[in-house]
Amino acid sequence: MSFAVETQLLFRRKMLELMRQPVWIIAGLSSPLLYLALFAPLLQALAGGPGFAGKSVLDVFVPGIIVLMAFGSGMGAGWVTIIEVDTGVLERLTVSPASRFALLLGTVLRDVVWLIIPALLVIFVAIPLGFHPNPAGTVVLLAIASLITAMVSAISGALGIKLRQIGSLAAVVTGLQLPLMLLSGILLPLSLAPSWMVVLAHIDPMYYAVEASRVLANGSIVNGTVVTAFGALGVLTALSLWWATGVYRKALA
Amino acid sequence: MQTRQAATGTVSIRDLRKSFSVGRKSIEAVSGLNLEVGRGEIFGLLGPNGAGKTTTLRMLATLVPIDSGEAMVAGIDVRRKPKEVRRRIGYVGQLGGADLPATGRENLLLQGRLYGASGSDASRRASELIDLLALGEFADRPARTYSGGQRRRLEVALGIMHKPEILFLDEPSTGLDPQNRANLWDQLRGLNEAGTTIFLTTHYLEEADALANRVAIMDHGKVVAEDTLLELKRRVGGGTFVVRTALPASELEDLRAALANLAPISGAWLDGEALRLRTSDGRAAVAAVAAVAQLLETRDVPLAALSLSEASLDDVFLQETGRSLRDAGQNNAETVR
Ligand SMILES: Nc1ncnc2c1ncn2[C@@H]1O[C@H](COP(=O)(O)OP(=O)(O)OP(=O)(O)O)[C@@H](O)[C@H]1O
Ligand SMILES: [Mg+2]
Repeated sequence: MSFAVETQLLFRRKMLELMRQPVWIIAGLSSPLLYLALFAPLLQALAGGPGFAGKSVLDVFVPGIIVLMAFGSGMGAGWVTIIEVDTGVLERLTVSPASRFALLLGTVLRDVVWLIIPALLVIFVAIPLGFHPNPAGTVVLLAIASLITAMVSAISGALGIKLRQIGSLAAVVTGLQLPLMLLSGILLPLSLAPSWMVVLAHIDPMYYAVEASRVLANGSIVNGTVVTAFGALGVLTALSLWWATGVYRKALA
Repeated sequence: MQTRQAATGTVSIRDLRKSFSVGRKSIEAVSGLNLEVGRGEIFGLLGPNGAGKTTTLRMLATLVPIDSGEAMVAGIDVRRKPKEVRRRIGYVGQLGGADLPATGRENLLLQGRLYGASGSDASRRASELIDLLALGEFADRPARTYSGGQRRRLEVALGIMHKPEILFLDEPSTGLDPQNRANLWDQLRGLNEAGTTIFLTTHYLEEADALANRVAIMDHGKVVAEDTLLELKRRVGGGTFVVRTALPASELEDLRAALANLAPISGAWLDGEALRLRTSDGRAAVAAVAAVAQLLETRDVPLAALSLSEASLDDVFLQETGRSLRDAGQNNAETVR
């Protein structure tokens, strides 16, 4: 059985799992729309102020939402691996000759797909409200967001296997999410921040993604910020996948 | 050295060891296990809770790294070539392994394809197993909605989907009602007749009795007895009988102690409401019955039933470890003289 076929089979399993959980689908689609509906209007007051010079508020805000969604879409992976350890599914799949990397990728790819669909929805809903996406830039933006989802999904899934307990996993994942998100300038541009925060932000990979996403959604593609973001996230995502595959390999000892 | 071909369907374990560290403590789950299982056998591994049965099976199925010792499955070294081992074995774990959001049929199809079957072959084999294990009524609903026994049957079907050379089963009939258990045993015998070696663990003495050609009894990570059932039972010798009285449970222990002191009785232990007594050899049985009757008479204990029984695996376990199989699980060894 080739690696590609294995991955495709395991991806299908995960897609079916998603499609059978209407609650996941509703939650996945509604929270980004709620940001648009209930948070974006607050920002209108800031239009033209510092950090928004000459831009539409949504041009700054929508890319941030997409990066936020990218993190959120990968975060849940660990919850499911805990269930799969407890019910013996993971054990059964690891006794099969299937590649461990394919096992991991099944979930990671599903999470990426489940980032892209709601992200497109948000983009299309935001256009009539004053968002001005650049088409090529949007594609690259979604690619960056996909890297984040893949990284977070791999790490969360592997942490589920390592920690085995929903409480511990939730503590670790949300404990990481909050500072990473706040420092990335997702909700408001960091140009509003004091300088110590800007310094701290530079060690947060999300910061580069958010910076790049703002440039991309409405401007140039070949740009230092974008290249930096791709480089940093590409390396981190590769490392995460490699580490997580190792965890799957040793998994169930 | 065996050739690969000759070793098809065999399991061979030498001085196998595995410890787990939990915090600063180290638990030795398997401590120097030796076993040989021949091609086409149904081999039963018995033992109380925590004896190390699951850990042994998981090592053989490549799920847990082996600390030391040698394990050959189908003639392949588990430590060196786990991937080759995986292709040849089926494993039904104690935890199950059915994917609950998927339907039974989807579970089977995926399993078949992961072992390399084409879509149409997998689909044919899935239908075959759905018939064989009577899954038809619920095969197309999510496994989440199955009863415990329905789920267990699906899990067994998953384990044999790819017609493995060796099938490892960890407590296969847990949660099955008597009829489905008998049904499963039939299927397992059929599978075995078709050439699959079966290596199973069980708590049920009847299960080992019904299925296994040979059993090993495991305690504290080691094999304490290994033979055919017939031979093991013969080795116990003596006779076992069961005494039921109308006494309240609180007074049974006192009676047990008194009975254990009778000369022809070599062991006495509580078994729920009843007392099980063993004599050291068959010829002592008549004398023992007389002695027991007399003791009950002098103590004025009304006798409800007294029956002679064949040596059971419980007796074998008692003989080899000094503890009852039932009690060993609760670390409750003090009821044995
Ligand atoms: N992952 C683990 N981490 C720590 N200790 C473990 C682990 N797995 C098993 N053990 C310990 O190893 C010993 C053997 O466990 P094992 O599950 O092999 O027993 P078993 O014979 O299958 O018991 P049961 O009949 O209850 O299924 C037990 O003391 C158990 O607590
Ligand atoms: Mg067990």
